[in-house]
Amino acid sequence: MSRQKVEKNGSAGKCELSVWCRAITANSEWPDKEEFLDVIYWARQAIGIVVGIVWGLIPLKGFVALLLFVLVNAGTTYVYFSNFQQVDEEEYGGAWELTKEGFMTSFAGFLVTWIIIYSGLHFD
Amino acid sequence: MWADTVLIVFISVCTALLGEGLTWLMVYRTEKYQKLKAEVEKQSKKLEKRKEAHGDSLDKQHKKKIEREEERLKNNNRDLSLVKMKSMFAIGFAFTALLSMFNSIFDGRVVARLPFVPISWIQGLSHRNLPGDDYTECSFIFLYILCTMSIRQNIQKMLGFAPSRTASKQSGSIFGPPPQQFK
Repeated sequence: MSRQKVEKNGSAGKCELSVWCRAITANSEWPDKEEFLDVIYWARQAIGIVVGIVWGLIPLKGFVALLLFVLVNAGTTYVYFSNFQQVDEEEYGGAWELTKEGFMTSFAGFLVTWIIIYSGLHFD
Repeated sequence: MWADTVLIVFISVCTALLGEGLTWLMVYRTEKYQKLKAEVEKQSKKLEKRKEAHGDSLDKQHKKKIEREEERLKNNNRDLSLVKMKSMFAIGFAFTALLSMFNSIFDGRVVARLPFVPISWIQGLSHRNLPGDDYTECSFIFLYILCTMSIRQNIQKMLGFAPSRTASKQSGSIFGPPPQQFK
């Protein structure tokens, strides 16, 4: 995978080369589009699982919770790429392409964790 | 009930790994597939760069060149899907059998409680073979599909078996024409 390749090829200590480091540094350079899309994808999956756990613990119920997840998920990603990283959306085919990158998988992951935590904590 | 839920997640992780393992055995590791994949990836990148470099102001010669390359890419993509198809069919059959087995094991059992009431056209799936009218009760198949949706794709991506974005964007899919991106 490209992420691992970069980490292996570059020295791990240098921030310019490690994807992890660039992902958490504002306004990083992203010469490889795939790499940035991968960061967005995995961040989405993490958000999906974390939100699923939180919604299950509270517990949030109904379509409001679903809607709130969509807002949190899309909102966080949008703020991340437009404000934090300030990438040129047009390079990636517009903001919409970035906003929907990995959305369905993240949504499914969210539903699974939400349902598991909710059933486990409040029905057993 | 919670044991069932966790068991289903475990089952879908296992089936996803099994599916990917089988596909690796039958497709990914073959020389033909690797060659074709590398070719498709190279061509997609080249085409993308060429499109980017010339933008909209294409003269006829360039347009023709691009069209020729697109045609070649399309052919390679078709070959690639043909290589995949046979094993996909075999795996599909095996998994349908497995699914019907699990379906009969979990028949009529509430495996989880949904924190929302699904919309009517999903209720058929989420409340399949369950007695009563409480639509927050979740059947095996619904949870299994959700698990597969998230786990399978993530496993594919982690193992590096997912098709690259460039290739799928340049070639489009069988469901529609390629979107005009990276212009």
